[in-house]
Amino acid sequence: MNRLPKNPLLDQFLSESHELLEGIGQKLMELEDSPNDRRVIDDLFRSVHTLKGNSGLFTFPEMTRVLHAGEDLLGKVRNGEMTFSRELADRLLDAMDFVGLLSNEIESTGCIDASHAADSARLAESLRALMADFPDSAKSSPAGSTPVTTKSTAEALTQIPSLTEVPEALRIEAFRRSGDGEKFHWIAYQPVPECFFQGEDPFHRARQTPGLVWGSVLPSEPLPPLAELDTYRCSLKFHLLTAAFHEELVEYFRYVPDQVKIVAVDPLWLTISGGKPENISETNSDSENITPSSLEERSPESIEESGALTRLLAVQQQILTLDDHPAWHSGRLKAVSAVLKNLAHAVDDADAEGQIEDSLAAALAAASGLPLLEWLNAHQSQFNSKLVPQSYENVNQANTEEEAAASSTGKPAADDGIKFGRRAEDNQTGPRSLKVDQAKIDRLMNLIGELVVEKNALPYLAQRAEAQYGVRELSREIKGQYSVINRIADEMQDAIMQVRMMAVSTVFQRFPRLVRDTSRKLGKEVQLVLEGEQTEADKNIIEALADPLIHIVRNSLDHGLETPDVRRANGKPETGTLAIRAAQQADRVVIEIVDDGKGIDPAVIKRKAYEKGLIDEAALERMDDRSAVNLIFAAGLSTAAVVSDLSGRGVGMDVVRTAVEKLNGSVIVESELGKGTSIRISLPLSMAVTQVMVIESDGQLFGVPMDHVIETVRVPRHSIHRIKQSMTAVLRGRVVPLKALNGLLGIPAQHTANADDGTICTAGSSGGRSTGPTGGRIQRNPWR
Amino acid sequence: MMDGPVVNEGVIAKRILIVDDAATVRMYHRGILESAGYAVDEAMNGIEALEKTLEAPFDLYVVDVNMPKLNGYGFLSELRQQEIPQQPAIMVSTEAAPGDEAAAYRAGANGYLIKPVQPTQLLAYTRLMLGEAIR
Repeated sequence: MNRLPKNPLLDQFLSESHELLEGIGQKLMELEDSPNDRRVIDDLFRSVHTLKGNSGLFTFPEMTRVLHAGEDLLGKVRNGEMTFSRELADRLLDAMDFVGLLSNEIESTGCIDASHAADSARLAESLRALMADFPDSAKSSPAGSTPVTTKSTAEALTQIPSLTEVPEALRIEAFRRSGDGEKFHWIAYQPVPECFFQGEDPFHRARQTPGLVWGSVLPSEPLPPLAELDTYRCSLKFHLLTAAFHEELVEYFRYVPDQVKIVAVDPLWLTISGGKPENISETNSDSENITPSSLEERSPESIEESGALTRLLAVQQQILTLDDHPAWHSGRLKAVSAVLKNLAHAVDDADAEGQIEDSLAAALAAASGLPLLEWLNAHQSQFNSKLVPQSYENVNQANTEEEAAASSTGKPAADDGIKFGRRAEDNQTGPRSLKVDQAKIDRLMNLIGELVVEKNALPYLAQRAEAQYGVRELSREIKGQYSVINRIADEMQDAIMQVRMMAVSTVFQRFPRLVRDTSRKLGKEVQLVLEGEQTEADKNIIEALADPLIHIVRNSLDHGLETPDVRRANGKPETGTLAIRAAQQADRVVIEIVDDGKGIDPAVIKRKAYEKGLIDEAALERMDDRSAVNLIFAAGLSTAAVVSDLSGRGVGMDVVRTAVEKLNGSVIVESELGKGTSIRISLPLSMAVTQVMVIESDGQLFGVPMDHVIETVRVPRHSIHRIKQSMTAVLRGRVVPLKALNGLLGIPAQHTANADDGTICTAGSSGGRSTGPTGGRIQRNPWR
Repeated sequence: MMDGPVVNEGVIAKRILIVDDAATVRMYHRGILESAGYAVDEAMNGIEALEKTLEAPFDLYVVDVNMPKLNGYGFLSELRQQEIPQQPAIMVSTEAAPGDEAAAYRAGANGYLIKPVQPTQLLAYTRLMLGEAIR
């Protein structure tokens, strides 16, 4: 923390401390004579409170700890929960002497020697024990077998606002474990609202917190009505109780240090039972460590201001909804309107002033905050737009229909004029687009899928017309019609697939921010190069691509690219380059992530793989560097130890491979030690192309990827031969082994013949040989 | 104690009143705010703050909770009843006691910060509450 004029402030602190300590000593003795003098008790409490507050401006935990305990104790006396006693005075005087000693030491040496920590803890403990002993004054053990519900513990709760949320059984268990020396930490994690655009998965992150004992998800502020809820913004926060070490937690949250607050849990806090719910709600105010960050290269001040703006708007909203009517109600409304005017001014909203004046007049007349509240709600989006970083404007434009739809319900009549004006412009500018529910597209896909299959019945029909009924003319006509329908169906399928096509830019656009934020946090200089953003692929592919890509990018930033110092030392430019390129190659989308970092050391990977038993000694010798580097995708390699090393999200590169393979794609890595790493992902353009033939057997449905199906053939029973134990059929002069599907799948049922006593054989390819699972009923719906 | 108007790039500096009984805290807050070019005045308790305000109202108030004579809530509710231009107030409290924040708003505060206040945070609140363009 950058303290302002340091020495004068410290001097001031010390001289005020002396003054206060002197006063405290006097008042304690005064109280011994007249223990019920409210004025003296009040003064005493305030002096200790002030002293504690002052010490908090500096890093003097030894001093603050004792003062805090003293303040709590006096707070109880002041509230009449404890009576003043000689013993209490003695302990307080001891404590204050200690504080005096510390401030003398600060005066002479400028700091507090670490040796005082034990004394500090002991004194604080003795003061707290006094509180715990009260009111039953029995010498109950400090463990406090009976839950302690006192004002002071309730106050401690304000630091740990929601420990009361934790179920009692868990708390007691944690208390017991802390008796065995375990340390617990409380984490308040508030993801920034824009976190989804940064590729964050806050829920996953919270769930994966090391040592997690308990956690809860709460709205970070009162949730708006559903229609106004912006689902692209994270409006949740997490409270977590964990048994992990502080360093571990800091490491785990290292990408979001400004969004978490980690507090060491005093075992005593765990014994609190049933704190009042309002204790919780009032204390989530500390925005001090929680600040929304943003994509733009913005100063810390600017980021701080964004956070402050959000917070202040919420506060004014809260004030306007207060339902009390004190004598200063109108003054309060005026103050709120002054704040709103200034906030509007701060975001350069010129029209606001008059509107606020009008709303204020209405509010004063009605003696209610409602008119101002309405104005505020209606203008929330204008304020929000100031919080949205510039580079996101493109995204927002893409989302305008949606936003318009979402906000039209909440927009006031005042905006209608503008809306009409805008409509006319809409007709002239830009390509027109229509937002359609994905379910509707999916339905279209399914229908065209059925049509594609259904039309294949026509050639069969034509054949029958000729062979069975001898109507050659009709057969030819059917075939003619078939080719027309076939062409149309193909085109239609293509057209529908086009609807589902999305540009990779929808995924790429989150990278500038991700790279900027992450590299900054890691103290690295990185230039991001994006190419081929207009490359298109199926929506599902694009969406499924996001996670693996983010993972790879994070890995590059975290472990590939070096810090400026290291790069300079290695004769590289200080700024590293991370390039993400997309291109279409035939029917594949190829995405390359290339960095000029330190590369992957094949020897290290090989050794690790060997240690993990993924490769044997012979392979270790034989394996070339290229194959070795690709071992990073092997599942076993990313066990815990390596995971934290390779990535920050608790998953390894095998997850990338799994995700890519699920999309029917492939991923390879090439790396040159010291020069950089290149990861190449190749994916099909469309997932819809991966059709599945659905086969029913024994009442169950099975899917066979069409990629593996060469053809389906109907084989009459008499054409199936038995050679030794296996079934075969002759297909175009070649003997094809037949396997019963039920047999392959281990289903005990007999295989059934078709109505016309034939068997459906599906020919698949494996290693160039055709094999045929048989004996199912092919269903029509072929789409995944 | 009252500073004359400070001329800052040709603009008369905004006036801020710090109300706190702890001299160290006043000095700390003053240091932060003065470094940003504001004209700062101090009061040691609610009564003194009210007197200074009625002499010449301020553009912003930074108010402690716990003070002798008249505490922060008392000062704010008095302030909000005065026939003067009502200006924003930030309440600054040593770690929130239960209900503190809501009580601050009921009394007439427009913002709430926990001590020790981060300089950047106090300045962000101050700038916004004084209507200075967001950076």
